[in-house]
Amino acid sequence: MSDQVLLRAENIHKSFSGVQVLKGVNLEIRSGEVHALMGENGAGKSTLIKIIMGVYPKDEGTIWIQGKQAEINSRSDAQRLGLAVIYQELSLIPTLTVMQNILLGQETRRCGLLDSKTMTRRVLELMERFDLYLDPGEVVENLSIAQQQTVEILKSLTVDAPLIIMDEPTASLSASESERLFDIINRLRDKGVGILYITHRLEEVRLLADRLTVLRDGENVAVVEKKDYDPQKIIRMMIGKDIATSADRVAMHRPGGPVGLSVRGLTRRGVFENVSFDAHHGEILGIGGLVGSGRTEVLRTIFGADRADAGEITLDGEKIGGTVAGNIKKGFGLIPEDRRGQGFIPLQSIRKNIALTNYDLLSNALGIVNSGRESRMCDDAISNLAVRPNIPSMPVINLSGGNQQKVVVGKWMARDLRVLLVDEPTAGIDVGVKEAIYQILEGLAAKGVIVIVVSSDLQELLRVSTRILVMRKGRIFREFNEGFITQEDVLAAASGIDNSREADHE
Amino acid sequence: MRQESIRRIISICLLALLVAVFSLTSSYFLAPKNVYAFLRDASVTGILAVGVTFVIITAGIDLSTGALTALSAMIMANFLFYLPDVPVPVVCLMSILIGILGGLLNGFVVTRLKLPDFIATLATQGIFRGLTMLFAIRESGRIRNQVIKNKAFLAFSGKISSGLFYVTIAFIVMVIVGQLLLKKTRVGVYTYATGSNRKSADLSGIRTDGIKQFAFGLSGFCCGLASIFLLARTGAATVELGTGLEFDVIAAVVVGGCAFSGGRGDVVGSMIGALFMSILTNGIYKYNLGSEYHVIIKGVVIIIMVLFDAVYQRYFRSRLHSSGRKALKGKAVAQ
Repeated sequence: MSDQVLLRAENIHKSFSGVQVLKGVNLEIRSGEVHALMGENGAGKSTLIKIIMGVYPKDEGTIWIQGKQAEINSRSDAQRLGLAVIYQELSLIPTLTVMQNILLGQETRRCGLLDSKTMTRRVLELMERFDLYLDPGEVVENLSIAQQQTVEILKSLTVDAPLIIMDEPTASLSASESERLFDIINRLRDKGVGILYITHRLEEVRLLADRLTVLRDGENVAVVEKKDYDPQKIIRMMIGKDIATSADRVAMHRPGGPVGLSVRGLTRRGVFENVSFDAHHGEILGIGGLVGSGRTEVLRTIFGADRADAGEITLDGEKIGGTVAGNIKKGFGLIPEDRRGQGFIPLQSIRKNIALTNYDLLSNALGIVNSGRESRMCDDAISNLAVRPNIPSMPVINLSGGNQQKVVVGKWMARDLRVLLVDEPTAGIDVGVKEAIYQILEGLAAKGVIVIVVSSDLQELLRVSTRILVMRKGRIFREFNEGFITQEDVLAAASGIDNSREADHE
Repeated sequence: MRQESIRRIISICLLALLVAVFSLTSSYFLAPKNVYAFLRDASVTGILAVGVTFVIITAGIDLSTGALTALSAMIMANFLFYLPDVPVPVVCLMSILIGILGGLLNGFVVTRLKLPDFIATLATQGIFRGLTMLFAIRESGRIRNQVIKNKAFLAFSGKISSGLFYVTIAFIVMVIVGQLLLKKTRVGVYTYATGSNRKSADLSGIRTDGIKQFAFGLSGFCCGLASIFLLARTGAATVELGTGLEFDVIAAVVVGGCAFSGGRGDVVGSMIGALFMSILTNGIYKYNLGSEYHVIIKGVVIIIMVLFDAVYQRYFRSRLHSSGRKALKGKAVAQ
């Protein structure tokens, strides 16, 4: 194995509209190593990758590829330099064969026709060199996700001295498929391929990584060698607090209110399994876990947007059906993570957006809308939630993220709301406005509404929840019902470390 | 077995079913004369379908084929009427040239002006039809449908001694050329790539705009070619020539297994689709049902086939996921 440096990024700076996202980050990847990149959401991992791949221009800093300074201004520049990203969503051509995908854009021709004999030989040679075997003639859409990933990997190996960047590659894989991928990664490392492995999963880092770069708030915290690996220490590095002080500890408690929403054995095959919990009136139940652990899907299924394969949901003893319209009538509301795409109608006014889910209340038996009531509903929501600017005719797309979210909340608050499901309540919202959103949620809970919050932001999850469930790989892994907990506890649970049995992992 | 092969078997079975029904209910149906007749009927649609197959595989649509065919035919009629001394091969080349130019105009509007295919070709359909009217042969201001008297040109509607029409031979040649182009050349692979995942195709260095331009150009070429045979058969270029032809073509391509979402289907499939549509028409007329039923049935067939493909896709995807599901169950036991 050579210790040749494949890629070195030095002092990378990047800011978006005045906010510093990367503040002088360094990264070095050698050939024949698996280099893990870790950090909490917002630490700057994906920005760094996008700069390396030429998606964003950097403000400052230098990138060297194999000792030569490189200007990477587009994805194709990156590709030419041997850099390839394997994203969570695959970027293959589903209806072409394995061979056609691997050699796409690099076909061999003879007399103008494709020379499929030579091409098949090239692909077979590549497969043999890296010990990755697939049927070259199989159509890609007929392969499993793991096999498709193998095709992507093979595609990125057609260049010399390849560097493969894997962004959460196991997020959509089953356990056995993940193991196969780890096997492949180990083989690639032995062949001298450099791999940058981005993940939230500590156990994968322990299994795979030779070195580990930890980012926090756009800065390097440390580069850890394999021999110095300690999961608890790394969690502390990511969160940035050495010892959990009492100020960071938050009390969890079971609320006195009666059980309202009861979920039993909820299953959506391949996504989550046997999820059971109770939510009480007047509590804010937080659901933590890594991206891909099934949190969002549980919310959507409770709301009726996705179909459950098994399980039962009851609200105050009454069985809940599986349709969105029916559940809205029963008092459910959903605030989705993708606000712009699913939360509101961008070009419509504040008034129309707030009225959107409430036309059953605003219209008479003939379906004619009472526009006076519509205006009043909008004015109430604007003043209750302090939406700025307070112009009912303003298209929602022109509002700031925080005010957009207030409108989304507002459309549910205008009804007789009983359960509010919130997915990433403050994603993309300015820090100053976050607190206002939390207070709105708390106000709802105080009125007896059951609020369920999914969040990847640990600080937020602890700030807003009265009780926290942590999901992992489609199951509820831990419940924090009482006592004091810290961000570290939640992250450890999400990573599959059970702190109550800490000794097992030493 | 692969999804594509199963889809091919399904369209062949549909065709066989149709043939079986009509041949059992009509003794005349499989008579050689009738077979050659429905092969001829399938041929003009089929030639157009070869080009449209390429367009639909790139996830596009071409609604202008009927009108462009009419325009090419009208230009030829003008040559034959006003300039009878121009040799017939030159007239035919003019038709093909007009077809290619019309197709490239479609491609230009789609790739350079960035209009959606549907709107672009709906608009050019109007333009081509309007130009056809503009070039219509008039006498004292009124349109007169001039009957073509040029024997050499009318020979295109003829047949070889066995009874097979020239147009059917042209159709077969186009199917072979089209299929080779699609499966054995780089352009063919890139056509699938463009329709199946355009972003990824762009990132692989494929000029996807060029591929779309090529597909529209080929579709135009097919219009020019088909119009020669169509005009020779009808014997006069009317302004309504080829009205609704694009509908038959799209129906044929869809029955043959092309998906509107792109990346799927091939020329042989579209050939089967063209045969299916012409046999259906032939059979309907044999039952003495009017052409109104013919149009209704075509509409229904398009809806059924698109629905069928959606259900069929979902089935294959769920079958794929079930293997992942088993793996997940295994993990649950391991924990």
